[in-house]
Amino acid sequence: MRKLFLLFVTLSFCFFGLSQSLLAQKKMKVVTTLGYLKYVTEQVGGDRVEVMALANPKQDPHYVTPTPRMNEVANGADFFIENGLSLDLWAKNVVDASGNPRIQPGNPGHLVATINVPVKELPTEISRAWGDIHPQGNPHVWLDPLNVRIIAENIANRLKQLDPPGSDYYQKQLDDFKYRLDVALYGEELMKIVGKKAGDILTRKTRNDELMDWLVSRKLDGKLGGWMRIGSRIAGQKIVSYHKTYIYFADRFGLNIVGELEEKPGIPPPPQYRDAVVELIKREGVKAILNDNFYSTEAADYVASKTGAKVVITYLDVGGAEEVETYEKLVSFLLDRIAQAFSS
Amino acid sequence: MRHKFLIVFAGVFWVTGQVSLMAQAPPDSAGKRIEDLHKELDEVKQEIADLKNLQSAIPQNQDDELDRLEGRLDQRLRELENKIDAISRANAPIVFNPRTTAFINVAARADDKTVYDSQGQTEIQNRPFLRTVELDLRAPVDPFAEAVAIISLEDEAGKGFGIDAEEAYGLIKRIPALETAPLGMKIKVGKFRAPLGVDNKLHMHDLPWITRPLVVSKYLGTEHGEFFESGFNPIGIDFEFFLPNPIPSSTLEMNFDLLRAGDLGLSQGTSGKQPAYLAHLNWSRDWENVHLLTLGLSAYREDGSPSTYLYSADITYKWSPIEHRDIHSFVMGGEIFLGRTVVRNEVDLNHDGVPGLIQDVTNKPLGWFAYAQYQLSWWVYLGARYEVVDEPTNDRLNTKALSGYLSYYTTEFLRFRLGVEHRITDLPEHRSVTSGLFEINFVFGSHPTEPYWVSR
Repeated sequence: MRKLFLLFVTLSFCFFGLSQSLLAQKKMKVVTTLGYLKYVTEQVGGDRVEVMALANPKQDPHYVTPTPRMNEVANGADFFIENGLSLDLWAKNVVDASGNPRIQPGNPGHLVATINVPVKELPTEISRAWGDIHPQGNPHVWLDPLNVRIIAENIANRLKQLDPPGSDYYQKQLDDFKYRLDVALYGEELMKIVGKKAGDILTRKTRNDELMDWLVSRKLDGKLGGWMRIGSRIAGQKIVSYHKTYIYFADRFGLNIVGELEEKPGIPPPPQYRDAVVELIKREGVKAILNDNFYSTEAADYVASKTGAKVVITYLDVGGAEEVETYEKLVSFLLDRIAQAFSS
Repeated sequence: MRHKFLIVFAGVFWVTGQVSLMAQAPPDSAGKRIEDLHKELDEVKQEIADLKNLQSAIPQNQDDELDRLEGRLDQRLRELENKIDAISRANAPIVFNPRTTAFINVAARADDKTVYDSQGQTEIQNRPFLRTVELDLRAPVDPFAEAVAIISLEDEAGKGFGIDAEEAYGLIKRIPALETAPLGMKIKVGKFRAPLGVDNKLHMHDLPWITRPLVVSKYLGTEHGEFFESGFNPIGIDFEFFLPNPIPSSTLEMNFDLLRAGDLGLSQGTSGKQPAYLAHLNWSRDWENVHLLTLGLSAYREDGSPSTYLYSADITYKWSPIEHRDIHSFVMGGEIFLGRTVVRNEVDLNHDGVPGLIQDVTNKPLGWFAYAQYQLSWWVYLGARYEVVDEPTNDRLNTKALSGYLSYYTTEFLRFRLGVEHRITDLPEHRSVTSGLFEINFVFGSHPTEPYWVSR
């Protein structure tokens, strides 16, 4: 009897230990609206999270139709992340229909990732007469890598709040990710020369438009590498985009957007407006038209045929194609494609 | 500059000192001392080089740097003030007010024969109507619930307007005592469009057609016929939840409703003391947000006089390409309804004023519709619908209709629609009628994005 009791106790402890171990390995389920948020969350959350994005990265993030599958996926989420800024408005429908109290706005399990990100194009007049404008400013913030640093910090902070035992882990993951971004942005050599706080110093200088002056004054301009180096080669070049998608990207890399194919945001260009764009491109000497993969190329092709400008098919979200399966690849892809258009 | 000067000054001072010391040293050791000095000079040069490198990492002129910093802070302050202003202008006065959306639906018809409303009293052919004006108000109540009120002003077949609470309900999203909602349960309490099929849940301005399908109008409820707003929006409570599903990548949802009986079109409003029950099962699967297939089953029961049962099945398929999305898309679907009403009649066989026999009269009307819609361009959609329906009170009388329509959207907020319908019926008023239909729909306000555009 005593042996039986000991066996029972031993098995109980084994079972308890196993269950604790399984619980410890249980990953936090994170649902994001967009592919880039999934990627950033994976980088910051590492092994402690399991992330799923609702939108197909090939589709227009403005016009995603919520489906019952999305609602059910959100029902099982511990943490829901959206871009905000009136881009993924459909997220509200999903959160509402999920029946998941944890991810409702106002709870720690719900995050608008772009909080604290400096937003451009805040409208002073808000009216539908201006088309599908975004009342809180242009929402395509992630195309500036400096904003992704802030977004990653926001996600990491919330992960720490939701999973306190993983705080140190998330901080290290965040630091590693920011370092990878900084190396991609400025090049490894410059990062090493500037030293331990290089990422923060260079980010501050870049955000204040002082980077080149600062580097020249220290004779470090020759050491600049990465995306900023590529960007310096195309800086000042004039482009036209289909939608106001590339404001942040252009500002970061010095491109000059002289106009859009859309006369008003969210409304396809009417035929008469296309001719106005043709005149604009001829007058300004524009060589490249950026056309997101989810927009028709009809208008861009027409304008290109009249002007000789090159149509560059672009992807907006991480995972939209094999070439853009990571955020770093997405930025590299955009820079390379635009540089190619100018070189040809 | 200050650092550079100090470094050079220190270097010169040190070298001068060494040279002075060398001058005082005995001549025989001069060679060795010079060699040592060269070494030390090299070390100093190295130190100067290191200091220059260090200098490059610190501000050259701290005063200038402070000025620039102040300028930047001023600029940032201005940007923040502008941002606060813009956000304040956008939100402050209405921040806790319900989100408000208004809908205006205007329609006109031209017919080759006289057409009456469903009550058979009012002629409605060859004239325009302001069919509905709807005001949609919604906002969170507290962390646990949200409320929706949709007030509509409806055209009563040209004889005036009636005000109706199209929907008014509270949606409980979280039970305070529970941290999680079992099976994702959501509870809706109030007056709402019941989940009896798919079409009934849509408001008139969301329909992909100009008129309701006949079967929805006749079986679920109408005051003035399918040309005007109709459908089943009773008072009750709705429980919506997910069900475990053995089929991968698909979703199974269930609604169970407890309703006030008597509002259903099929029961002709003659019962109502007993509760009614409604269950709706919905299975759906989507493929990469490109294809969506939905299958649904509904069952409704109310006891009373007449006892009414209504069963329905629905299917919807959508194809909406996500790349070059503004070129084409396709939607097709249909719904079938089978009703059963049992009226208990007391028959006076002997004509003595005392009922001698109780006789049940059963009616089993059947109705269905099927439709397809193709997107021709970003703005233009072309569609067709075919429908067959038995009369709710007499399943031997039947109506068939075929209609086609062309929709033009300037944006998702403004739609023009042109349609034609040919109808053949057993009803005695007229055997056939052909109608031309026209509709304009305006949506304005701080509305959500969905579902104004049925195929996007």
